[in-house]
Amino acid sequence: MSILINQETRVLVQGVTGKSGSLQAKAMLDAGTNIVAGVTPGKGGQEVWGIPVYNYVAEAKKAHDFDTVISFVPPKVAKDSCFEAIDAGIRLLVLTTEEITMHDVVEIIAYANAHGTTLIGPGCAGVIIPEVCKVGAHPVRFFKKGSVGIVSKSGALSYEIGKTLTDNGIGQSGVVAIGGGPVWGFTQRDAVALYAQDPGTKVIVLLGEIGGGSEEAAAAYIKAYVNKPVVSLIVGRNAPTGKSLGHAGAIVNGNVGTAATKIAALEDAGVHVVKNPAELVEQVRALLRKEG
Amino acid sequence: MNLFEFEGKQMMRRFAIPVPESHLLVSDSAPAPMDYPFVLKAQVMTGGRGKAGGVKVCHNEEEYRQYASQILHMEIKNHPVHGLLAEQRMQAAQEFYLSITLQGVSVPTLIVSRMGGMDIEQVSKDHPEEILKLEIDPFTRLKGYQKKMIAGQLNTADPSDLYALLDKLQDAFFSSGALLVEINPLGLVNGKLVAMDSKFVIDDHDSSAANIRSELEQGRSGLYRYTTPEKEQTTVTYVPLDGDVAMISDGAGTGMLTLDLLHDAGLHVASFCELGGMTTPEIMYRAMELSLKNRPQVKAIIVVLIGGFNRMDNMAVGLTSYCKEHGVTIPIFCRMCGTMQEEGIRIMEEHGFPTFNILAEAVDAVAKAAKEG
Repeated sequence: MSILINQETRVLVQGVTGKSGSLQAKAMLDAGTNIVAGVTPGKGGQEVWGIPVYNYVAEAKKAHDFDTVISFVPPKVAKDSCFEAIDAGIRLLVLTTEEITMHDVVEIIAYANAHGTTLIGPGCAGVIIPEVCKVGAHPVRFFKKGSVGIVSKSGALSYEIGKTLTDNGIGQSGVVAIGGGPVWGFTQRDAVALYAQDPGTKVIVLLGEIGGGSEEAAAAYIKAYVNKPVVSLIVGRNAPTGKSLGHAGAIVNGNVGTAATKIAALEDAGVHVVKNPAELVEQVRALLRKEG
Repeated sequence: MNLFEFEGKQMMRRFAIPVPESHLLVSDSAPAPMDYPFVLKAQVMTGGRGKAGGVKVCHNEEEYRQYASQILHMEIKNHPVHGLLAEQRMQAAQEFYLSITLQGVSVPTLIVSRMGGMDIEQVSKDHPEEILKLEIDPFTRLKGYQKKMIAGQLNTADPSDLYALLDKLQDAFFSSGALLVEINPLGLVNGKLVAMDSKFVIDDHDSSAANIRSELEQGRSGLYRYTTPEKEQTTVTYVPLDGDVAMISDGAGTGMLTLDLLHDAGLHVASFCELGGMTTPEIMYRAMELSLKNRPQVKAIIVVLIGGFNRMDNMAVGLTSYCKEHGVTIPIFCRMCGTMQEEGIRIMEEHGFPTFNILAEAVDAVAKAAKEG
């Protein structure tokens, strides 16, 4: 059992002939992902790592059955290629592209919502189910199979915490990085909701950062619906105000989006808030022992 | 890109939204641009200028001379005034608030209130019933019933002027890559709606708005004591701080984590630097340059790398070539792991730079070195 993807998941890669797309396609194949087709306009008929390439998603859909798409296309064409993928009737779309204009992002999210497609991203590292498969960029070496479900905005932070847990002998049931924001299709709350229902997950790790109100939204959900233990680390406690720290969404303006308000909301929801990765490991270890 | 009021009003005019007649002044010695009385308004990149004395009514030449020189040389909340907008004085029977925003929300959101002319955050705290928020579907834009709800909120007897204004405001928002279009106050003057102030924020990434941005940038060249802010041409985010340990990371989340860990270890961070979406050797080189060039206060640097999309061999090449070319002597604490880590670590060691595998150990080493001075 796992969230979002499993060994049955059949994947199409958009932008498969590009530098990033082909590199990541190879890494996904090596991780056990069942990639059935790729798309790059004008490159139909080629093959990348044995993956057949098509000009259009609809064309690929006629020849192959897939329900998931991961996209490595440039920002300017992201909106149209997302529409194309969603029109093919897919269940899950992972959009890795960064720096898409806000108006395009808003249309992509609205279109995905209207068509019942789960959109992870934009600007995200995607999802890995350790030792099963991945639809994203997570390097497999940092992760191992286990029962801790991780959700993070930042890709790198999800690698960092995954690696720290793995280094300490604690495996993961899933690791999702949803992107740096400031807006998202799939949110931290959505991930928590899936992990809460996932029999393979015993402890949920919520990695948050300053800016916006998505951690508070997750906290409200946890308070109302989640019985599994949740551990949270909020980064950016010491960030200067009024400056975006690498993620467009990671900005504190006045009293909005501070680490303090997020930590208070999470603690109020019964979440175990830790200060650093070492504390996180100890907290997760103790909770796993308790859960048996 | 944040727009000055006069630029926001240019944008309003472009989309046929009524604004008062106004003239931009960039010196305090220009002849009065219109008949008295008129309002003189500081052009400055911050709010609260009225309270700070940055808005004055001029009834005659003497008042105009005095206020023009006063306001033009002011600083408001540490922001220098870059010009004066002389504007026709209008007596509004009512003042409303109207905006469309994409800041802090994932759906374009229209906010409207009868209580205009004041801080909308405060209104929403004190009088939540006076605020109406509506989500705008980007594919349909405002629907008929939503426009009716807005007219109801404003208690408008004849809403045709309001409906026309809403269409123009949506045009302005959706066709200029705007993140915020705010009219506060929206005045009701002789039965017609007029944008008496304007706040506009345009998305820097929106290529369809590139010509609007460059046009605005050119229009700023004549402003009083205005210099175009230097823009980083790469994907690197660099934020100078006032400590002595520089920090570079290949992820925003890990960068913020490292900032916290350094702080908790009692260290003071000199700068936050994150590579962004591009991770070539040149980008790493640029990050080193931003963090170390003309920064004599920097006593040590910590580089936190965990490669997913990012290749460690590229990082090692960029880092070592900067150090070689610039004879860097301060200690470098580099955590390197992930994609191509074996090759990256080999290059680092070849140049005499040891690396760490565990972030906490790298931070401990910086703290230890700082203690030993």
